[in-house]
Amino acid sequence: MSTKKRRVGAETPAFVWVGASCALLFLLLPLVGLLKRVAWSGIFGSVTSGPASEALRLSLITSVFATMIALVLGLPLAWVLARIEFRGRSMVRALVMLPMVLPPVVGGVALLGAYGKSNGLIGGWLFDVFGLQLTFSPLGVVIAEAFVALPFLVMAVESGLRSIDPRFEESAATMGLGPSERFWKVTFRLLAPSLIAGVAVAWARALGEFGATITFAGNIEGRTQTTPLAVYLLLESDPEAAYALSFVLLAVCVAVLVAMRGSWMGRRS
Amino acid sequence: MKRFGLMIAVTVLASLVSLMTGITHASPIAEVSKLQGDLTISAATSLTDAFTVLAKQFRKVNKGLKVHLNFGSSSTLVAQIQSGAPSDVMASADLTNLEKLVASGNVVVTPKVFARNTMAIAVKLGNPKSVRSVTDLASLSFIALCGKTVPCGVYAASVLTRAGVVIAETKVTRGIDVKATLSAVANGDADAAIVYKTDVLAAKKTVVGIDIPSAQNVKAMYGIAPIQGSKNPANAKAFIDFVLSEQGWQILKSFGFERR
Repeated sequence: MSTKKRRVGAETPAFVWVGASCALLFLLLPLVGLLKRVAWSGIFGSVTSGPASEALRLSLITSVFATMIALVLGLPLAWVLARIEFRGRSMVRALVMLPMVLPPVVGGVALLGAYGKSNGLIGGWLFDVFGLQLTFSPLGVVIAEAFVALPFLVMAVESGLRSIDPRFEESAATMGLGPSERFWKVTFRLLAPSLIAGVAVAWARALGEFGATITFAGNIEGRTQTTPLAVYLLLESDPEAAYALSFVLLAVCVAVLVAMRGSWMGRRS
Repeated sequence: MKRFGLMIAVTVLASLVSLMTGITHASPIAEVSKLQGDLTISAATSLTDAFTVLAKQFRKVNKGLKVHLNFGSSSTLVAQIQSGAPSDVMASADLTNLEKLVASGNVVVTPKVFARNTMAIAVKLGNPKSVRSVTDLASLSFIALCGKTVPCGVYAASVLTRAGVVIAETKVTRGIDVKATLSAVANGDADAAIVYKTDVLAAKKTVVGIDIPSAQNVKAMYGIAPIQGSKNPANAKAFIDFVLSEQGWQILKSFGFERR
Protein backbone atom coordinates (compact mmCIF):
# COMPACT_ATOMS: atom_id res chain seq x y z
CA MET A 1 0.00 0.00 0.00
CA SER A 2 2.69 2.48 1.04
CA THR A 3 4.97 1.72 -1.90
CA LYS A 4 2.08 2.24 -4.27
CA LYS A 5 1.32 5.61 -2.70
CA ARG A 6 4.90 6.78 -3.10
CA ARG A 7 4.99 5.79 -6.76
CA VAL A 8 1.79 7.73 -7.51
CA GLY A 9 3.17 10.71 -5.59
CA ALA A 10 6.34 10.76 -7.65
CA GLU A 11 4.31 10.97 -10.84
CA THR A 12 2.24 13.92 -9.62
CA PRO A 13 3.41 17.18 -11.21
CA ALA A 14 4.53 19.95 -8.84
CA PHE A 15 1.75 22.35 -9.86
CA VAL A 16 -0.85 19.87 -8.64
CA TRP A 17 0.72 19.82 -5.18
CA VAL A 18 0.95 23.62 -5.12
CA GLY A 19 -2.64 24.02 -6.34
CA ALA A 20 -4.00 21.47 -3.90
CA SER A 21 -2.15 23.07 -0.99
CA CYS A 22 -3.50 26.50 -1.94
CA ALA A 23 -7.03 25.08 -2.17
CA LEU A 24 -6.72 23.48 1.25
CA LEU A 25 -5.34 26.69 2.75
CA PHE A 26 -8.12 28.68 1.09
CA LEU A 27 -10.72 26.48 2.78
CA LEU A 28 -9.01 26.20 6.16
CA LEU A 29 -7.91 29.78 6.75
CA PRO A 30 -11.43 31.20 7.38
CA LEU A 31 -12.12 28.32 9.79
CA VAL A 32 -8.96 29.14 11.73
CA GLY A 33 -10.05 32.78 11.69
CA LEU A 34 -13.41 31.82 13.18
CA LEU A 35 -11.86 29.62 15.86
CA LYS A 36 -9.48 32.42 16.81
CA ARG A 37 -12.40 34.76 17.45
CA VAL A 38 -14.32 32.40 19.70
CA ALA A 39 -14.07 33.45 23.35
CA TRP A 40 -13.56 29.96 24.73
CA SER A 41 -13.86 30.85 28.40
CA GLY A 42 -17.35 32.31 27.98
CA ILE A 43 -18.60 29.98 25.25
CA PHE A 44 -20.93 27.98 27.47
CA GLY A 45 -22.56 31.12 28.84
CA SER A 46 -22.91 32.63 25.36
CA VAL A 47 -24.57 29.55 23.90
CA THR A 48 -26.92 29.00 26.84
CA SER A 49 -28.00 32.67 27.06
CA GLY A 50 -31.58 33.63 26.12
CA PRO A 51 -31.77 34.26 22.36
CA ALA A 52 -28.85 31.94 21.52
CA SER A 53 -30.21 28.89 23.33
CA GLU A 54 -33.71 29.51 21.96
CA ALA A 55 -32.27 29.73 18.45
CA LEU A 56 -30.34 26.48 18.93
CA ARG A 57 -33.40 24.68 20.29
CA LEU A 58 -35.56 25.95 17.41
CA SER A 59 -32.89 25.02 14.85
CA LEU A 60 -32.59 21.53 16.25
CA ILE A 61 -36.35 20.87 16.19
CA THR A 62 -37.08 22.44 12.80
CA SER A 63 -34.09 20.85 11.05
CA VAL A 64 -35.03 17.39 12.32
CA PHE A 65 -38.61 17.80 11.07
CA ALA A 66 -37.38 19.23 7.76
CA THR A 67 -35.08 16.22 7.32
CA MET A 68 -37.97 13.86 8.04
CA ILE A 69 -40.08 15.58 5.37
CA ALA A 70 -37.14 15.41 2.98
CA LEU A 71 -36.77 11.69 3.70
CA VAL A 72 -40.45 10.79 3.37
CA LEU A 73 -40.86 12.75 0.14
CA GLY A 74 -37.34 12.33 -1.21
CA LEU A 75 -37.04 8.54 -1.05
CA PRO A 76 -39.96 7.81 -3.43
CA LEU A 77 -38.85 10.61 -5.74
CA ALA A 78 -35.29 9.28 -5.86
CA TRP A 79 -36.70 5.83 -6.57
CA VAL A 80 -38.73 7.09 -9.53
CA LEU A 81 -35.77 9.04 -10.90
CA ALA A 82 -33.37 6.13 -10.53
CA ARG A 83 -35.50 3.17 -11.55
CA ILE A 84 -38.29 4.28 -13.87
CA GLU A 85 -37.78 5.31 -17.47
CA PHE A 86 -40.16 8.01 -18.58
CA ARG A 87 -40.26 10.90 -21.00
CA GLY A 88 -38.85 14.10 -19.55
CA ARG A 89 -37.04 12.36 -16.69
CA SER A 90 -33.94 14.52 -17.08
CA MET A 91 -36.20 17.55 -17.07
CA VAL A 92 -37.79 16.45 -13.80
CA ARG A 93 -34.37 15.77 -12.32
CA ALA A 94 -33.20 19.27 -13.26
CA LEU A 95 -36.30 20.77 -11.61
CA VAL A 96 -35.69 18.73 -8.44
CA MET A 97 -32.10 19.99 -8.27
CA LEU A 98 -33.18 23.62 -8.78
CA PRO A 99 -33.33 24.58 -5.06
CA MET A 100 -29.68 23.49 -4.76
CA VAL A 101 -28.46 26.14 -7.17
CA LEU A 102 -31.20 28.72 -6.64
CA PRO A 103 -30.19 31.61 -4.35
CA PRO A 104 -31.97 30.77 -1.08
CA VAL A 105 -33.59 34.23 -0.90
CA VAL A 106 -35.20 33.54 -4.27
CA GLY A 107 -36.39 30.25 -2.83
CA GLY A 108 -37.96 32.21 0.03
CA VAL A 109 -39.69 34.57 -2.40
CA ALA A 110 -40.96 31.55 -4.33
CA LEU A 111 -42.30 29.98 -1.12
CA LEU A 112 -44.10 33.26 -0.35
CA GLY A 113 -45.59 33.08 -3.83
CA ALA A 114 -46.99 29.65 -3.02
CA TYR A 115 -47.80 29.69 0.71
CA GLY A 116 -47.96 33.39 1.64
CA LYS A 117 -51.20 34.18 3.44
CA SER A 118 -51.91 37.47 1.69
CA ASN A 119 -50.75 36.75 -1.86
CA GLY A 120 -49.61 33.15 -2.18
CA LEU A 121 -51.13 30.63 -4.59
CA ILE A 122 -52.60 28.41 -1.86
CA GLY A 123 -51.57 30.29 1.30
CA GLY A 124 -54.84 32.20 1.60
CA TRP A 125 -56.81 28.99 1.08
CA LEU A 126 -54.74 27.14 3.71
CA PHE A 127 -55.55 29.92 6.18
CA ASP A 128 -59.26 30.18 5.36
CA VAL A 129 -59.92 26.45 5.39
CA PHE A 130 -57.49 25.13 8.00
CA GLY A 131 -56.55 28.32 9.84
CA LEU A 132 -52.96 27.47 8.92
CA GLN A 133 -50.45 30.28 8.52
CA LEU A 134 -47.01 29.08 7.46
CA THR A 135 -45.35 32.48 7.32
CA PHE A 136 -43.95 33.66 10.67
CA SER A 137 -44.49 30.20 12.15
CA PRO A 138 -42.03 27.44 13.12
CA LEU A 139 -43.81 25.24 10.56
CA GLY A 140 -42.83 27.80 7.92
CA VAL A 141 -39.20 27.38 9.01
CA VAL A 142 -39.57 23.61 8.53
CA ILE A 143 -41.05 24.15 5.04
CA ALA A 144 -38.23 26.52 4.03
CA GLU A 145 -35.58 24.14 5.34
CA ALA A 146 -37.19 21.09 3.71
CA PHE A 147 -37.41 22.96 0.41
CA VAL A 148 -33.65 23.48 0.25
CA ALA A 149 -32.69 20.15 1.88
CA LEU A 150 -34.85 17.82 -0.24
CA PRO A 151 -32.68 17.91 -3.39
CA PHE A 152 -29.58 16.91 -1.40
CA LEU A 153 -31.36 13.83 -0.11
CA VAL A 154 -32.78 12.95 -3.52
CA MET A 155 -29.39 13.24 -5.15
CA ALA A 156 -27.60 11.05 -2.58
CA VAL A 157 -30.31 8.39 -2.57
CA GLU A 158 -30.71 8.34 -6.34
CA SER A 159 -27.01 7.71 -6.91
CA GLY A 160 -27.14 5.08 -4.17
CA LEU A 161 -30.02 3.29 -5.90
CA ARG A 162 -28.21 3.38 -9.22
CA SER A 163 -25.10 1.82 -7.71
CA ILE A 164 -27.05 -1.22 -6.41
CA ASP A 165 -26.50 -4.21 -8.65
CA PRO A 166 -30.01 -5.21 -9.86
CA ARG A 167 -28.98 -8.89 -9.72
CA PHE A 168 -29.33 -8.86 -5.93
CA GLU A 169 -32.95 -7.83 -6.18
CA GLU A 170 -33.57 -10.16 -9.12
CA SER A 171 -32.29 -13.13 -7.19
CA ALA A 172 -34.42 -12.12 -4.22
CA ALA A 173 -37.40 -12.10 -6.56
CA THR A 174 -36.57 -15.60 -7.82
CA MET A 175 -36.48 -16.72 -4.18
CA GLY A 176 -40.09 -15.65 -3.99
CA LEU A 177 -39.86 -12.38 -2.06
CA GLY A 178 -42.64 -9.84 -2.73
CA PRO A 179 -41.89 -6.23 -3.75
CA SER A 180 -42.10 -4.70 -0.27
CA GLU A 181 -40.19 -7.57 1.36
CA ARG A 182 -37.58 -7.24 -1.37
CA PHE A 183 -37.30 -3.55 -0.63
CA TRP A 184 -36.81 -3.91 3.14
CA LYS A 185 -34.63 -7.04 3.08
CA VAL A 186 -32.42 -6.28 0.08
CA THR A 187 -32.64 -2.80 -1.40
CA PHE A 188 -32.95 -0.95 1.87
CA ARG A 189 -29.94 -2.68 3.39
CA LEU A 190 -27.79 -2.02 0.35
CA LEU A 191 -29.06 1.54 0.22
CA ALA A 192 -28.46 2.30 3.90
CA PRO A 193 -25.04 3.96 3.50
CA SER A 194 -26.26 6.42 0.84
CA LEU A 195 -29.45 6.94 2.78
CA ILE A 196 -27.48 7.88 5.90
CA ALA A 197 -25.23 10.14 3.85
CA GLY A 198 -28.26 11.78 2.21
CA VAL A 199 -29.98 12.31 5.56
CA ALA A 200 -26.81 13.78 7.05
CA VAL A 201 -26.25 16.21 4.19
CA ALA A 202 -29.93 17.20 4.08
CA TRP A 203 -29.94 17.79 7.83
CA ALA A 204 -26.76 19.90 7.69
CA ARG A 205 -28.24 21.93 4.88
CA ALA A 206 -31.50 22.44 6.81
CA LEU A 207 -29.56 23.46 9.90
CA GLY A 208 -27.59 26.08 7.99
CA GLU A 209 -30.54 27.51 6.05
CA PHE A 210 -30.69 31.32 6.13
CA GLY A 211 -32.08 33.09 3.06
CA ALA A 212 -35.27 31.13 2.44
CA THR A 213 -36.05 31.08 6.16
CA ILE A 214 -35.74 34.81 6.82
CA THR A 215 -37.62 35.66 3.62
CA PHE A 216 -40.45 33.20 4.08
CA ALA A 217 -40.74 32.52 7.82
CA GLY A 218 -39.40 35.84 9.07
CA ASN A 219 -37.10 36.47 11.99
CA ILE A 220 -39.08 36.27 15.23
CA GLU A 221 -37.12 35.58 18.41
CA GLY A 222 -38.05 32.21 19.90
CA ARG A 223 -40.44 31.49 17.04
CA THR A 224 -38.69 31.58 13.67
CA GLN A 225 -35.23 32.89 14.54
CA THR A 226 -33.00 29.89 13.82
CA THR A 227 -29.30 29.75 14.69
CA PRO A 228 -27.95 31.17 11.39
CA LEU A 229 -30.40 34.09 11.68
CA ALA A 230 -29.36 34.64 15.30
CA VAL A 231 -25.68 34.58 14.28
CA TYR A 232 -26.34 37.31 11.72
CA LEU A 233 -28.26 39.54 14.12
CA LEU A 234 -26.01 38.90 17.13
CA LEU A 235 -22.96 39.82 15.07
CA GLU A 236 -23.96 43.43 15.64
CA SER A 237 -25.27 43.38 19.18
CA ASP A 238 -23.35 40.54 20.84
CA PRO A 239 -20.43 39.35 18.67
CA GLU A 240 -19.19 36.91 21.32
CA ALA A 241 -22.48 35.02 21.24
CA ALA A 242 -22.44 35.13 17.42
CA TYR A 243 -18.98 33.51 17.29
CA ALA A 244 -19.96 30.96 19.92
CA LEU A 245 -23.05 29.97 17.91
CA SER A 246 -20.97 29.86 14.72
CA PHE A 247 -18.61 27.46 16.44
CA VAL A 248 -21.52 25.23 17.49
CA LEU A 249 -22.75 25.10 13.87
CA LEU A 250 -19.23 24.36 12.68
CA ALA A 251 -18.78 21.57 15.22
CA VAL A 252 -22.11 20.01 14.23
CA CYS A 253 -21.15 20.07 10.54
CA VAL A 254 -17.78 18.47 11.30
CA ALA A 255 -19.59 15.77 13.28
CA VAL A 256 -21.92 15.17 10.31
CA LEU A 257 -18.97 14.79 7.95
CA VAL A 258 -17.25 12.36 10.30
CA ALA A 259 -20.45 10.32 10.57
CA MET A 260 -20.77 10.25 6.77
CA ARG A 261 -17.22 9.09 6.38
CA GLY A 262 -18.07 6.25 8.73
CA SER A 263 -21.05 5.27 6.63
CA TRP A 264 -18.99 5.25 3.45
CA MET A 265 -16.35 3.09 5.07
CA GLY A 266 -19.12 0.73 6.04
CA ARG A 267 -20.11 0.49 2.43
CA ARG A 268 -16.60 -0.45 1.34
CA SER A 269 -16.15 -3.33 3.77
CA MET B 1 -27.28 70.53 21.49
CA LYS B 2 -24.19 72.72 21.48
CA ARG B 3 -22.49 70.27 19.16
CA PHE B 4 -25.30 70.36 16.67
CA GLY B 5 -25.09 74.15 16.68
CA LEU B 6 -21.41 73.87 15.95
CA MET B 7 -22.08 71.36 13.21
CA ILE B 8 -24.59 73.65 11.57
CA ALA B 9 -22.09 76.52 11.81
CA VAL B 10 -19.41 74.37 10.21
CA THR B 11 -21.80 73.28 7.48
CA VAL B 12 -22.91 76.81 6.75
CA LEU B 13 -19.28 77.90 6.65
CA ALA B 14 -18.42 75.02 4.33
CA SER B 15 -21.23 75.87 1.95
CA LEU B 16 -20.24 79.56 2.05
CA VAL B 17 -16.67 78.62 1.17
CA SER B 18 -17.82 76.38 -1.66
CA LEU B 19 -20.07 79.18 -2.86
CA MET B 20 -17.17 81.63 -2.79
CA THR B 21 -14.86 79.31 -4.64
CA GLY B 22 -17.67 78.93 -7.14
CA ILE B 23 -17.65 82.66 -7.64
CA THR B 24 -13.89 83.11 -7.85
CA HIS B 25 -13.35 80.27 -10.30
CA ALA B 26 -14.90 80.66 -13.70
CA SER B 27 -15.97 77.02 -13.83
CA PRO B 28 -16.26 75.03 -10.61
CA ILE B 29 -17.22 71.95 -12.59
CA ALA B 30 -13.95 72.04 -14.50
CA GLU B 31 -12.14 72.10 -11.20
CA VAL B 32 -13.86 69.12 -9.65
CA SER B 33 -13.65 67.16 -12.88
CA LYS B 34 -9.93 66.75 -12.18
CA LEU B 35 -10.88 64.05 -9.69
CA GLN B 36 -9.51 60.67 -10.66
CA GLY B 37 -9.49 57.13 -9.40
CA ASP B 38 -11.98 55.49 -7.09
CA LEU B 39 -14.51 56.57 -4.52
CA THR B 40 -16.16 54.02 -2.26
CA ILE B 41 -19.19 55.23 -0.34
CA SER B 42 -20.70 53.19 2.49
CA ALA B 43 -24.24 54.36 3.12
CA ALA B 44 -27.22 53.33 5.22
CA THR B 45 -29.81 51.22 3.40
CA SER B 46 -32.39 54.01 3.79
CA LEU B 47 -30.14 56.16 1.58
CA THR B 48 -30.11 53.63 -1.28
CA ASP B 49 -32.24 55.59 -3.74
CA ALA B 50 -31.05 59.07 -2.82
CA PHE B 51 -27.36 58.16 -2.84
CA THR B 52 -27.67 56.26 -6.12
CA VAL B 53 -28.87 59.50 -7.73
CA LEU B 54 -26.35 61.63 -5.83
CA ALA B 55 -23.52 59.37 -7.00
CA LYS B 56 -24.81 59.47 -10.57
CA GLN B 57 -24.93 63.26 -10.59
CA PHE B 58 -21.50 63.42 -8.97
CA ARG B 59 -20.13 61.15 -11.69
CA LYS B 60 -21.62 63.38 -14.35
CA VAL B 61 -19.27 66.20 -13.39
CA ASN B 62 -16.38 63.86 -12.53
CA LYS B 63 -16.20 61.59 -15.52
CA GLY B 64 -12.82 60.12 -14.60
CA LEU B 65 -14.11 58.82 -11.30
CA LYS B 66 -15.17 55.29 -10.46
CA VAL B 67 -17.86 55.49 -7.78
CA HIS B 68 -18.69 52.38 -5.75
CA LEU B 69 -21.73 52.32 -3.50
CA ASN B 70 -21.96 49.94 -0.58
CA PHE B 71 -25.32 49.86 1.18
CA GLY B 72 -26.10 48.10 4.44
CA SER B 73 -27.48 48.79 7.87
CA SER B 74 -25.35 51.50 9.52
CA SER B 75 -24.09 49.13 12.23
CA THR B 76 -23.05 46.54 9.62
CA LEU B 77 -21.14 49.24 7.74
CA VAL B 78 -19.37 50.31 10.94
CA ALA B 79 -18.32 46.72 11.55
CA GLN B 80 -17.06 46.44 7.97
CA ILE B 81 -15.03 49.65 8.21
CA GLN B 82 -13.62 48.71 11.61
CA SER B 83 -12.42 45.41 10.22
CA GLY B 84 -10.60 47.24 7.45
CA ALA B 85 -12.99 47.19 4.48
CA PRO B 86 -11.82 49.93 2.10
CA SER B 87 -14.23 52.82 2.28
CA ASP B 88 -13.73 56.54 1.66
CA VAL B 89 -16.99 57.98 2.96
CA MET B 90 -19.50 56.77 5.50
CA ALA B 91 -23.08 58.06 5.56
CA SER B 92 -25.05 56.80 8.53
CA ALA B 93 -28.73 56.93 9.46
CA ASP B 94 -27.74 58.20 12.90
CA LEU B 95 -24.83 59.88 14.65
CA THR B 96 -24.25 57.09 17.17
CA ASN B 97 -22.68 54.81 14.58
CA LEU B 98 -20.40 57.59 13.33
CA GLU B 99 -19.37 58.22 16.93
CA LYS B 100 -18.38 54.55 17.11
CA LEU B 101 -16.05 55.19 14.16
CA VAL B 102 -14.70 58.31 15.91
CA ALA B 103 -14.05 56.21 19.01
CA SER B 104 -12.20 53.56 17.00
CA GLY B 105 -10.14 56.20 15.18
CA ASN B 106 -11.65 55.49 11.75
CA VAL B 107 -13.09 59.00 11.64
CA VAL B 108 -11.02 61.93 12.89
CA VAL B 109 -13.23 64.89 11.96
CA THR B 110 -16.60 65.88 13.39
CA PRO B 111 -19.27 64.14 11.29
CA LYS B 112 -21.67 66.49 9.51
CA VAL B 113 -25.43 66.21 9.60
CA PHE B 114 -26.68 66.34 6.00
CA ALA B 115 -30.35 65.41 6.26
CA ARG B 116 -33.09 64.38 8.63
CA ASN B 117 -35.74 61.73 8.39
CA THR B 118 -38.79 60.69 10.37
CA MET B 119 -40.51 57.38 10.90
CA ALA B 120 -43.81 56.29 9.38
CA ILE B 121 -46.06 53.24 9.49
CA ALA B 122 -46.26 51.13 6.33
CA VAL B 123 -49.23 48.86 5.68
CA LYS B 124 -50.39 46.79 2.72
CA LEU B 125 -52.11 48.51 -0.21
CA GLY B 126 -55.69 49.39 0.66
CA ASN B 127 -54.86 49.27 4.39
CA PRO B 128 -56.89 46.06 4.96
CA LYS B 129 -56.46 46.19 8.77
CA SER B 130 -57.54 49.88 8.92
CA VAL B 131 -54.44 51.02 10.78
CA ARG B 132 -54.61 54.70 11.69
CA SER B 133 -52.15 55.17 14.51
CA VAL B 134 -49.25 53.62 16.37
CA THR B 135 -51.76 52.41 18.99
CA ASP B 136 -53.53 50.30 16.33
CA LEU B 137 -50.32 48.30 15.83
CA ALA B 138 -50.83 46.53 19.16
CA SER B 139 -53.87 44.64 17.81
CA LEU B 140 -52.18 43.29 14.65
CA SER B 141 -50.85 39.74 14.25
CA PHE B 142 -47.33 40.45 12.96
CA ILE B 143 -45.27 43.63 12.83
CA ALA B 144 -41.99 44.03 10.93
CA LEU B 145 -39.26 46.07 12.59
CA CYS B 146 -35.54 46.48 11.95
CA GLY B 147 -32.99 44.70 14.14
CA LYS B 148 -32.87 46.01 17.71
CA THR B 149 -29.42 47.51 17.33
CA VAL B 150 -29.60 49.07 13.86
CA PRO B 151 -30.75 52.72 13.71
CA CYS B 152 -34.19 52.11 12.20
CA GLY B 153 -34.88 49.51 14.89
CA VAL B 154 -33.77 51.89 17.63
CA TYR B 155 -35.95 54.68 16.20
CA ALA B 156 -38.96 52.36 15.89
CA ALA B 157 -38.50 51.35 19.53
CA SER B 158 -38.54 55.05 20.55
CA VAL B 159 -41.72 55.62 18.55
CA LEU B 160 -43.43 52.71 20.33
CA THR B 161 -42.23 53.93 23.72
CA ARG B 162 -43.39 57.48 23.06
CA ALA B 163 -46.79 56.22 21.97
CA GLY B 164 -46.96 53.98 25.04
CA VAL B 165 -47.45 50.88 22.89
CA VAL B 166 -45.97 47.54 23.90
CA ILE B 167 -45.71 44.79 21.27
CA ALA B 168 -44.74 41.27 22.29
CA GLU B 169 -41.45 40.12 20.80
CA THR B 170 -43.23 36.99 19.50
CA LYS B 171 -45.19 39.24 17.12
CA VAL B 172 -42.16 41.07 15.80
CA THR B 173 -40.22 39.84 12.78
CA ARG B 174 -36.88 41.61 12.45
CA GLY B 175 -35.60 42.51 8.99
CA ILE B 176 -31.86 42.56 8.41
CA ASP B 177 -32.18 46.14 7.16
CA VAL B 178 -34.88 48.69 6.41
CA LYS B 179 -35.58 47.41 2.88
CA ALA B 180 -36.00 43.83 4.10
CA THR B 181 -38.27 45.08 6.90
CA LEU B 182 -40.50 46.92 4.46
CA SER B 183 -40.49 43.93 2.13
CA ALA B 184 -42.02 41.78 4.87
CA VAL B 185 -45.12 43.98 4.54
CA ALA B 186 -44.97 44.51 0.76
CA ASN B 187 -44.30 40.89 -0.22
CA GLY B 188 -44.83 38.90 2.94
CA ASP B 189 -47.47 38.48 5.58
CA ALA B 190 -46.48 41.19 8.07
CA ASP B 191 -49.42 43.53 8.73
CA ALA B 192 -47.39 46.67 9.30
CA ALA B 193 -43.87 48.02 9.67
CA ILE B 194 -42.35 51.10 11.28
CA VAL B 195 -39.69 52.36 8.88
CA TYR B 196 -38.33 55.64 7.56
CA LYS B 197 -40.81 57.93 5.87
CA THR B 198 -38.48 58.12 2.85
CA ASP B 199 -38.64 54.34 2.42
CA VAL B 200 -42.42 54.37 2.58
CA LEU B 201 -42.46 57.07 -0.10
CA ALA B 202 -40.05 55.09 -2.27
CA ALA B 203 -42.24 51.99 -1.99
CA LYS B 204 -45.56 53.67 -2.64
CA LYS B 205 -46.39 51.15 -5.35
CA THR B 206 -46.39 48.31 -2.82
CA VAL B 207 -47.29 49.87 0.54
CA VAL B 208 -49.37 52.69 1.99
CA GLY B 209 -47.83 55.10 4.48
CA ILE B 210 -49.45 56.37 7.65
CA ASP B 211 -47.91 59.43 9.27
CA ILE B 212 -46.86 59.33 12.89
CA PRO B 213 -47.59 62.60 14.76
CA SER B 214 -44.45 64.52 15.70
CA ALA B 215 -45.15 64.11 19.44
CA GLN B 216 -44.62 60.36 19.01
CA ASN B 217 -42.07 60.60 16.23
CA VAL B 218 -38.29 60.89 16.20
CA LYS B 219 -35.96 63.03 14.11
CA ALA B 220 -33.36 60.75 12.62
CA MET B 221 -30.13 62.69 12.03
CA TYR B 222 -28.15 61.49 9.03
CA GLY B 223 -24.43 62.05 9.38
CA ILE B 224 -21.57 61.88 6.90
CA ALA B 225 -17.81 61.74 7.41
CA PRO B 226 -14.63 60.87 5.51
CA ILE B 227 -12.87 57.70 6.63
CA GLN B 228 -9.37 58.16 8.07
CA GLY B 229 -6.64 56.51 6.06
CA SER B 230 -8.72 56.31 2.89
CA LYS B 231 -6.73 56.17 -0.35
CA ASN B 232 -8.91 58.83 -1.94
CA PRO B 233 -9.27 61.67 0.57
CA ALA B 234 -9.74 64.36 -2.10
CA ASN B 235 -12.56 62.40 -3.74
CA ALA B 236 -14.15 61.80 -0.34
CA LYS B 237 -14.05 65.48 0.54
CA ALA B 238 -15.46 66.53 -2.85
CA PHE B 239 -18.34 64.08 -2.54
CA ILE B 240 -19.20 65.20 1.01
CA ASP B 241 -19.18 68.82 -0.18
CA PHE B 242 -21.49 67.81 -3.02
CA VAL B 243 -23.93 66.10 -0.61
CA LEU B 244 -23.94 69.25 1.54
CA SER B 245 -24.35 71.58 -1.46
CA GLU B 246 -27.65 73.07 -2.61
CA GLN B 247 -27.73 70.65 -5.57
CA GLY B 248 -27.20 67.75 -3.19
CA TRP B 249 -29.94 69.00 -0.91
CA GLN B 250 -32.40 69.23 -3.81
CA ILE B 251 -31.77 65.57 -4.62
CA LEU B 252 -32.20 64.50 -0.97
CA LYS B 253 -35.36 66.57 -0.72
CA SER B 254 -36.84 64.90 -3.77
CA PHE B 255 -36.65 61.59 -1.87
CA GLY B 256 -38.50 62.99 1.13
CA PHE B 257 -35.59 63.87 3.41
CA GLU B 258 -35.91 66.92 5.60
CA ARG B 259 -33.58 69.88 5.94
CA ARG B 260 -30.65 69.14 8.22
